[in-house]
Amino acid sequence: MASTVAVELPHGGFSFDNCKRNALLEDKGFKAPKAYKTGTTIAGIIFKDGVVLGADTRATEDTVVADKNCEKIHYISSNIYCCGAGTAADTEMTTQMIASKLELHRLETSRKPRVCTANRLLKQMLYRYHGYISAALVLGGVDSTGPHLYSVWPHGSTDKLPYVTMGSGSLAAMAVFEDRFKPEMEREEAMKLVQDAIRAGIFNDLGSGSNVDLCIITKDKTDYLRTYQEANLKGVRQGTYRYKRGTSAVLKTEVKKIVLEVIDTQVKPQAMDTD
Amino acid sequence: MDSQMNELYGNNGPKQVHFSPYAFNGGTVLAVAGEDFAVVASDTRLSEGFSIHSRDTPKTYKLSDKTVLGSCGFHGDVLTLTKVIGARLKMFEHSHNKKMSTSSIAAMLSTMLYYKRFFPYYVYNIIGGIDDEGKGCVYSFDPVGSYEREAYRAGGSASSMLQPLLDNQIGFKNQEGATVVPLSKEKAVALVKDVFISAAERDIYTGDAIIVQVVTKDGVKTEQFPLRKD
Amino acid sequence: MATSMISKNREQAFMSNLTPDWLKTELTTGTTIAAVEFDGGVVIGADSRTTSGAYIANRVTDKLTKITDKIYCCRSGSAADTQAVADVVKYQLNFYQMEMGEEPLVQTAAHTFKELCYDHRDNISAGIIVAGWDKKEGGQVFAVPLGGMVIRQPFAIGGSGSTYLYGYVDSQFKKNMTKEECLPFVANALSLAMNRDGSSGGIIRLAAITKDGVERVNLTGNQLPKFYEDH
Repeated sequence: MASTVAVELPHGGFSFDNCKRNALLEDKGFKAPKAYKTGTTIAGIIFKDGVVLGADTRATEDTVVADKNCEKIHYISSNIYCCGAGTAADTEMTTQMIASKLELHRLETSRKPRVCTANRLLKQMLYRYHGYISAALVLGGVDSTGPHLYSVWPHGSTDKLPYVTMGSGSLAAMAVFEDRFKPEMEREEAMKLVQDAIRAGIFNDLGSGSNVDLCIITKDKTDYLRTYQEANLKGVRQGTYRYKRGTSAVLKTEVKKIVLEVIDTQVKPQAMDTD
Repeated sequence: MDSQMNELYGNNGPKQVHFSPYAFNGGTVLAVAGEDFAVVASDTRLSEGFSIHSRDTPKTYKLSDKTVLGSCGFHGDVLTLTKVIGARLKMFEHSHNKKMSTSSIAAMLSTMLYYKRFFPYYVYNIIGGIDDEGKGCVYSFDPVGSYEREAYRAGGSASSMLQPLLDNQIGFKNQEGATVVPLSKEKAVALVKDVFISAAERDIYTGDAIIVQVVTKDGVKTEQFPLRKD
Repeated sequence: MATSMISKNREQAFMSNLTPDWLKTELTTGTTIAAVEFDGGVVIGADSRTTSGAYIANRVTDKLTKITDKIYCCRSGSAADTQAVADVVKYQLNFYQMEMGEEPLVQTAAHTFKELCYDHRDNISAGIIVAGWDKKEGGQVFAVPLGGMVIRQPFAIGGSGSTYLYGYVDSQFKKNMTKEECLPFVANALSLAMNRDGSSGGIIRLAAITKDGVERVNLTGNQLPKFYEDH
């Protein structure tokens, strides 16, 4: 523990300080708070000029929709993006960590980061944590060697494939890919295919829903299309639910005087220093 | 290979395989009583875990011209329960030469549920209808037969979202100086649709469509209304 | 008041299976792998299926993983463990090669695998076959099974599908087979195992490693060897 004399600098990594205490509390029947598990549909494919990544935008906490329009396509570098499924906090922090490491690496080497580097950093980090970091990722990007697409599993294994899906809606999305994927597709066709794969997840998997986000990465351009499609329109309510002023009960009123010290200051225009 | 590895290392620990006689198939039901009418509504989605079994399975059951039952939870039990209720109603009709009243159906349902006290029907029931005096009525139940008459009630997967809104809008709870006006049929139907639209936004087990059944002295009118499908 | 007596607790129990199993289940290469020595090299082979429970996570996996130019390994068991171990061995042998200025022996590679697998035997599920060619001993096959032992064998099979194969390989293996005889021997064995074992399947990946390098062959769809269903 840090003493007041010699303050210990905080070091990186996780703190496991409360693990034993929490295990004891849970043994005694205390319910641990639950993290947002993003039951998710994420997918990606390689097409003629690059990769297309796609994701739905629903985040759930048990059976309740916690966020109707969250972002699941994470930034790794300007030419690499990563879709995340699993525990929202894990996917967010893991991708941020790898993005930061790759940026430092880019500064050091003066080269655009490569997708295989991101993949290797991700798998080694996840492997180190034995699957306790619940991040299932679809990693895609274009580098000096061309377009690349990986799926990264929570335990740290990876697969390099031309089309991949992840999350609770992965089976619905993969069904669409297995039906319609072909190599060397045009950009528009590839976008339509990923959109339809995500839509299959949105409509057939209860853990996925709301909108389709897309990210198209090519050799010299990345297009992040947030809310590419609003797959679901909100129902139109018939009644109005505005309350009259004074509907909320006022339980107590108290007026207090605030003593202010008024200072008068004048600011005069000054000539700019141009020497 | 897997089992060998687990045996060797016991890395998964002992596993107990067990069968659960219940499932939870989602769905929300709702009933509102007015002066001379009752509205019973449910969504039409039938699901389990993360998948949808059906987008068109209403969970309201017309029991007579004066009574509608909303029933959800484990669909297997819902089917059995509604079948047995139907049989009991027929038996009553044949032996007494008249239809069973709404209050009697409610009392009967309570005993039917309590009969299975130690292997319950995993079902949330809400009855809406017209009582013996021609007034709208709602009876709500827990799965083992406790019941009471109320003015409005929501049950099932999104009940915790709907009930507070109904308390506020129909029961005028937490409203200072609100003018209490009797609920019209049109207002009730519109409110029911609106609360389901809201529930479909946040509850993954509520969606696809709602069925609204309006019970008056002239019988039961049914209306369907689409909800979001994700 | 109609209080629900079962409600929350039991409902929670129903919900607990909402945690998607792909988050908990580790990927396994529930696999069939095989390798045979011949005079002047080795033939190795594997199916291409990776599963997560009942779901095929990858149907075109390459389980023949390169360690050095002339040493490969066949992976079975946990995908994460075997990939990690193979990555470490690849790094160490590459380092060795740069330091010593010569290609490492297959035996060295096999013992590097063994060292990792034995030291971490309580935490790792990896069944690996190391095979390759070196100028001291020629073509060699080493099995590094679950507990982390290592043994040289004239041929080796592994993975969940291999249980179906012992009878076949024992009856069909001959000493001093040529490369041309070894390739169908391995392909036939894999095809038979893929037909019986649910967690093996996809395509057959083969590789022949000799002093001249690696020659890779993939057998897809109707190229898979067929047996009695023909008659």
